[in-house]
Amino acid sequence: MVKRVIRDIFISAAALCSAFLVSLLFHYVFDIYEHVSTLFAFAVFLISVYTDGYVYGVVSAFVGALAINYAFAFPYFEFDFLTPVNFISAFVMVIIAVLTGTLTTKLKKHEAEKAESERERMRANLLRAVSHDIRTPLTTIYGSASTMEEEWNELSAEKKLAMLKGIREDSDWLVRMVENLLSVTRMQDGQNVKIIKTPTVVDELIDSVLVKFRKGHQFDNIRISLPDELLIVPMDAMLIEQVIINLMDNAVRHGKGMTEMSVSVCSSDDDVVFEIRDNGSGISVERVTRMLNGHYGDSKDSGDGQKKNAGIGLSVCAAIVRAHGGDIFAENSREGGAVFRFILEKEEGSVE
Amino acid sequence: MNNKYKVLLIEDEANIRNLVSAMLETHGYQIITAETCASGVILFDSHVPDLVVLDLGLPDGDGNRFIRYVRKSSAVPIIVLSARSGEKDKIASLDLGANDYITKPFGAGEFMARVRSALRNFRHSSQEGRLPGGKFILGDLVIDYDARRVCVSGNEIHFTQTEYNIVALLSEHSGKIMTYSSMIKAIWGDHEDEGSVKKLQVNMANIRKKLGAKPGESRFITNELGVGYRMEG
Repeated sequence: MVKRVIRDIFISAAALCSAFLVSLLFHYVFDIYEHVSTLFAFAVFLISVYTDGYVYGVVSAFVGALAINYAFAFPYFEFDFLTPVNFISAFVMVIIAVLTGTLTTKLKKHEAEKAESERERMRANLLRAVSHDIRTPLTTIYGSASTMEEEWNELSAEKKLAMLKGIREDSDWLVRMVENLLSVTRMQDGQNVKIIKTPTVVDELIDSVLVKFRKGHQFDNIRISLPDELLIVPMDAMLIEQVIINLMDNAVRHGKGMTEMSVSVCSSDDDVVFEIRDNGSGISVERVTRMLNGHYGDSKDSGDGQKKNAGIGLSVCAAIVRAHGGDIFAENSREGGAVFRFILEKEEGSVE
Repeated sequence: MNNKYKVLLIEDEANIRNLVSAMLETHGYQIITAETCASGVILFDSHVPDLVVLDLGLPDGDGNRFIRYVRKSSAVPIIVLSARSGEKDKIASLDLGANDYITKPFGAGEFMARVRSALRNFRHSSQEGRLPGGKFILGDLVIDYDARRVCVSGNEIHFTQTEYNIVALLSEHSGKIMTYSSMIKAIWGDHEDEGSVKKLQVNMANIRKKLGAKPGESRFITNELGVGYRMEG
């Protein structure tokens, strides 16, 4: 908050001083008298555009009027409040400030509304995709359970075990999907994105991730690389845990020919970079980037249930990371495997 | 006679009741079930179970009420089952006196492991966690309370005063999740705030390093992210 006020004061002062100096130049050096008011009006306009609210613009309008009165109107370098001409330019500048302020406020509101409807659209897409996708595992679970109920004596032991295994695997998928949905609701409080960050020890975060991951996966060849020194980062630990697990899960499910995965965390002065890479056959960067931007379940991909799951997981990852004020990227490594990277701020920045 | 452990299960969903009963019975435990907080209290008073498995979302009141009631007079281990996955609910139940927390859905393996751990903890604490000679033993770990010394595989580990206090505290409540605030109060007598949590986290990081733990490979002490720590029991 304070940062913005300082910034706005700086902008106003800078614009006014520039107008003043340039006017001095025009008036006293080049002997051009006509443009002083225009210059100040322009300064007031710029101030109204780039600062928050009306205050700075209106105040600058008055300051500008005083400046013109003092330095650029007869009697020079003296204030003269009686001549009407001086009031006119003051009046005009105040109007400019107010109107421009109104315009920019409307624009900001419009942009906020657009962002909100964009979020609504993505939420609706997510619900649609998940509702659609839930049918697939439910088909297995319902079908297998009812078959076993009705045909218990007719089915062989292997068949029954296979069905039970299928039920458990599809339930795992459902659980993950529920966790993803819960993450989305955890992030949103009505209209606003609300994330509560608490200082989290990265070692503990990765430890918790690995414990959870091992519960649902046999895959064990995971290389971990963390900084030696203690790293504490503000974040919503449950959500970031979800991000890392989603990325690791995707690597296992979709990385063709993958035999090794690595999870690494590096820290710089301002931020922390998390990277999950595998040595599989890589990703289509274009498609993955689309998924990271909320476009899953394109009609091209329909029929491939697996890919849709990845899409939902990825868009939830992207939503979580962005809600933290961070960013997420995907690319292929030199060796051909997929690399997913996301960055979080180290310091508690202002949450706007 | 009957040497089975007696487990009181308080859960209103019939299918989950049947499921958990089946899990426990196949492992040789005796089950008593209740569907509400009120009947849970009655059964608790009359049967004095060795373990309580409690669902938080009961129709006649929050399961936490049951925990508060029981903890007035009994240290019986309580495992909470809940569909709510946020840390606040976990911390609330744990601070009221629950020993452990499982989020639905859970598998049989995970559930039975927690049950065994909770019962082991109760056995320990009924001897005040100490074996003859004032020692705590967990695998390769030996804590000598009188000498204030910790050894792993026979090698002494040099902890600072605070670090030792933390390790000893966790061992005295082995098997139970200790929340940040309960640990901070026990070690420093402070209230939980950002500074004291950080102090605890820094100490725990040093302890983990000295015990040779790595992410994914904990040694004796596990961390419950956002909630607290636990020494295996």
